[in-house]
Amino acid sequence: MSYATVFKDETKLDINYTPSKLQHRNFQLKLLNQYFRHAIETPGKMTQRVIITGKVGTGKTVLTQLFGREITREAQRRNINLRYIHLNCRQNKGSFFLTLQQIVTQFHPTFPKRGYSAEELLQALIQILDTQNVHLIVTLDELESLIQNEGSEPLYKLSRIEETRPKTPRRLSLICILRELDWLNKLDASTRSTLQSNIIQLDAYTKTQLKDILNDRITLAFKPGTTPVETIEFAAELGTEEGGNARYAIELIWRAGKYADTEGDKEVSPEHVRRAVETVYAGIRRDEIAALDLHKKLFLLGISRRFQLTKGAYLSMGEAEEAYTIVCEEFDKKPRGHTQLWKYAKELSNLGIIKAEPSTSGQRGKTTLIGLPHITATNLETELNKILQHAKRG
Amino acid sequence: MMIEDIFSSRGRVRILRILFEIEELNISEIARRAGLNYTTTNQHLQMLEKAGLIRHKSFGRIRIYRFNEENAKVRVIKDLMAVWEQGSKQT
Repeated sequence: MSYATVFKDETKLDINYTPSKLQHRNFQLKLLNQYFRHAIETPGKMTQRVIITGKVGTGKTVLTQLFGREITREAQRRNINLRYIHLNCRQNKGSFFLTLQQIVTQFHPTFPKRGYSAEELLQALIQILDTQNVHLIVTLDELESLIQNEGSEPLYKLSRIEETRPKTPRRLSLICILRELDWLNKLDASTRSTLQSNIIQLDAYTKTQLKDILNDRITLAFKPGTTPVETIEFAAELGTEEGGNARYAIELIWRAGKYADTEGDKEVSPEHVRRAVETVYAGIRRDEIAALDLHKKLFLLGISRRFQLTKGAYLSMGEAEEAYTIVCEEFDKKPRGHTQLWKYAKELSNLGIIKAEPSTSGQRGKTTLIGLPHITATNLETELNKILQHAKRG
Repeated sequence: MMIEDIFSSRGRVRILRILFEIEELNISEIARRAGLNYTTTNQHLQMLEKAGLIRHKSFGRIRIYRFNEENAKVRVIKDLMAVWEQGSKQT
């Protein structure tokens, strides 16, 4: 089957795509290279810890991935055994054990999955690095999740492990990615002090910067002449309004391209972008919802349905629980208890999908109030239905 | 060690086949895949290691086994298994 399309290669708009050149992050890339110069000039002499911080869509992930690719290439050229591993803590459910396991299985894919502690796994990792003479840079993306789940311990152990082995080559460096630096306050003073020395702040992109980024991606992803200037201008404008969010602007332009294809249009117009806005949620990533546990999805589904009934700005925790119980009945699942749901509400709030905060005056007693600031209840329900149906079909 | 000492046991042959397919594995997983209990698996592994056919690396309590590629007999065993597998697929 052949059909007309405005795309040349839409994978270039994918969230996991790392371009070979980064617009407006050159300085930060150079800074990272400076921080890690020792890794290729005097490998084993020292290790480094860097924090990268910035809002959603400011290029934190793509910057580190490009850095990882470049430094590995340079190390290869110099015959240095350097590996770069990029991990997302949230995808590892904020577990130190799973994070370490993911690193170890990069070296030994059949390493046993259970039967030992995180400490033993960390020791095993160091042993592997020593035996294979590897220098490792690990990026812990969405570190919030690990801090929230396990506190200071993982970072303390990771950053201090080298100190327990004097007179041996230094092998493990860390890059930590955080949306907000405030998370560091949740760490104990000694862990904080080992991490805080090198911080790279990524500011929100301006409209002009977003236009440059979009132009770059469009050249790679779209056929020539399919995306007029005003479309790019409009998508950049919307990205700027959403806090200089490049990911949002790129997703908008991709979705707008899809609408153009569906309607058989040869050009992506601002109208297609406008339609895209209705289905792309700036603060929430679709894969973020898909990665949630089943009961968190059911809880969200209950919330989205109840919001459509009440039309209010907030739901009380009691209302949310009631709605969740009904959804559980529909899906033939045993509902989780109150404390668990309260934890879900906090976690979903930390992810930015809902807003959960304690009630203030005007309410009898104390409850948690739940809001949906970034997405309409209808859209959230549609999205969840799609994901849950997909999961059912397996 | 005589060749019949190695190949006279179904369990040992099974373990060698598993290591041929997976390359490296810990004892519990070898035992699970071979359908043997832990003690028997451990005994077989010790014997195969004594014969110089396999080697292990320890990470704390964890031992991971693999073929000892430096042993010429290992290359022959692996060739035999590859040819055997190929033959089984064809028939």
